[in-house]
Amino acid sequence: MRDKINARSMTAVAGLLLEAWALYVVGASPHRWRPSLIVEDETAAHILYDAMIRALHDARRLSYTSACSNPDDRTSTYRIWLKKPGSFHVEQTNDASTKSTTLLDDGNGLWVHWVGDRPTLLIDTEKSHADARSDVYVKKASLAAGGSIRNEAAMLGTALVRLILDPSIFYGSVNPFAPSIDGIRSRGTNPVRGEVCDVIEVSFMRARRTWYIWLSRQDHLPRRFKEIVRGADTRVTVEEWSNVTVNAEIPPKLLTWSPPEGWRPWDPPRLEDSLLQSGQEAPDFTLRSARRGKLSLSDYHGRVVWLYLWDTGSPQCRAEIPGFQQLCREYGDKGPVFLGFNCSDDKRIARVFLRENGVTFPSVLDSSEAATRLIHTGYGNKAGILPLNYIMDPQGRVVDGWFGQEQDPDRVLAALKKAGLELAQ
Amino acid sequence: MRAYELMKETFFRRTYIWMVHVIWLVLYGVFWWLFLPEAPEFGRFLFIWAGFFLPLALSAGIFGDDIASGRICVIVTRPFWTGELYIYRLLGLSVQAAVHLLLAGAVVLILHAVMRKGRVDDLGVWLLATWLLFNTCAALSTSLSIVVGRAFNSLLLLVVIVTGYFLVGLLSMYLRDQASTSALASFIRYPWPPFELLYKFAAGEWGQYAPTVGKYSVNKSIACVVHSLMLMLVYSIIGIVLLGRRQFSRVRD
Repeated sequence: MRDKINARSMTAVAGLLLEAWALYVVGASPHRWRPSLIVEDETAAHILYDAMIRALHDARRLSYTSACSNPDDRTSTYRIWLKKPGSFHVEQTNDASTKSTTLLDDGNGLWVHWVGDRPTLLIDTEKSHADARSDVYVKKASLAAGGSIRNEAAMLGTALVRLILDPSIFYGSVNPFAPSIDGIRSRGTNPVRGEVCDVIEVSFMRARRTWYIWLSRQDHLPRRFKEIVRGADTRVTVEEWSNVTVNAEIPPKLLTWSPPEGWRPWDPPRLEDSLLQSGQEAPDFTLRSARRGKLSLSDYHGRVVWLYLWDTGSPQCRAEIPGFQQLCREYGDKGPVFLGFNCSDDKRIARVFLRENGVTFPSVLDSSEAATRLIHTGYGNKAGILPLNYIMDPQGRVVDGWFGQEQDPDRVLAALKKAGLELAQ
Repeated sequence: MRAYELMKETFFRRTYIWMVHVIWLVLYGVFWWLFLPEAPEFGRFLFIWAGFFLPLALSAGIFGDDIASGRICVIVTRPFWTGELYIYRLLGLSVQAAVHLLLAGAVVLILHAVMRKGRVDDLGVWLLATWLLFNTCAALSTSLSIVVGRAFNSLLLLVVIVTGYFLVGLLSMYLRDQASTSALASFIRYPWPPFELLYKFAAGEWGQYAPTVGKYSVNKSIACVVHSLMLMLVYSIIGIVLLGRRQFSRVRD
């Protein structure tokens, strides 16, 4: 009898353990952070990655169709023609939409235009959209000298899903994440539409971002990308390359454009225009702190505050945070209060990052909807670009705000001085 | 022999059952013929029709009919454990479904060979996922049949599942960032028949959007299969316990 009960108990326990494992596997990952995802570098795989970059750099002309999708069943298609030294044509459409955006660089300038009425863009205000809804185009400086086709397509296009690989790499630009590569390893071979491809896994920033790249053995160019970005939510994007042609002639008409009669140039609003302007009161908040507990902006009234919006997925933020900590240590109470704000990271990842960099200044660490909305609408970061800096005076009013790409020490010192702090450079 | 008789009974207990099989098989053929689908489109169709609607049709009144007619009293007085009755009836449904799905696969393969259109690459995975879903739904419906009279077990299950998914879908749409919605979604995802998990398994979504290279993530696929089998087991244990505890009277319900 006892044996029977024991056998039953053992079976029940085994069943429960098995079910617990099943729920753990289907329920948690890919949201679960695992240090095992950080890749150790393998020479053979690194050679494949370098061969891909070299193939992009060496090609004189390249055209392909890129279908970018995510699990929400949204797909954006990009038809891309690239020609050295600095011409390209990118047509971008979304599933279930007839609207399209064309970015065309003829080597002298970048033209952006839309089919039909211009959709509301990320950078649009209600007024800017109403004022320039149809028969408009944007003329900008050529991207040949530097710049990112991927970013321009995201800012001026209507893509639901962004490109993973920036086509600007074809012109010699450096992959912005390349300096943050942890390692590259081989994942064997896998067919893509009948073509056998070598698969490599590239992890960046301690696996905050991972790429799987399917590389053709014929031309060393990608046939598929899978990008996993592990933040507060895990975002996955798949980019499929098809119709890849290298060094084939590109019809000249694809690389020239002039505005039709009656069309007018449109000067799109700058991203900075949406930020809080000097003299405006910074919205107060009470949100979760990285050290647990709550943290309010109003706690620092009476002192100059340098609000720094960051996340661990931005190479620039990762590079700047140790510098902030050093400034914090050097100036102490005589300097501004450095206040970090992170609303897009997994808490565990962000805490590990702060600990590893010995960060002692306070930081908000809250990925709730309220925190995200505050940054998006309250602090005007509509595009979610990081890092974003604000300097506020002791009364809590904004003195200056700028995105991180702009690294101008004079501007920082001037803003601090205006806020009431005189610091040596 | 007893097992064979009890399993056979699940097919012959009502005359409409063979018609259900034939109609369903014709539907698969017509769907393939009219829409010339790729395997994923056909897979979705098969998944819902054979994984959800077929067990409801086949298990309608599987115990309820016998309880209502009083026949159950005759059956349970035979010298065997009442749990066997439940197990063999469920097994009967499961075997029917397996044969049904093999026939469905044959229909599709024949049409594919004749029409030379569409792809059948992932058909096997879809058939497996459908069979697993069938088993969990059949177990739930069979257990329900012990406590719900006549054929209302299927109707009740249909109403509850459709309403439940509709409400959760609606809530997720309007309150997508609320913590309570995600808890509600988890509630419907794990203890209920694993529609979402098995669908993702068959459609290759675990692999496509997970940290794996291939289309299928082995770990997650195995976990999905284990979870669906475990659910079937839990539903069955509940059914067996209910069957063992219920006092059947000779007076008709």
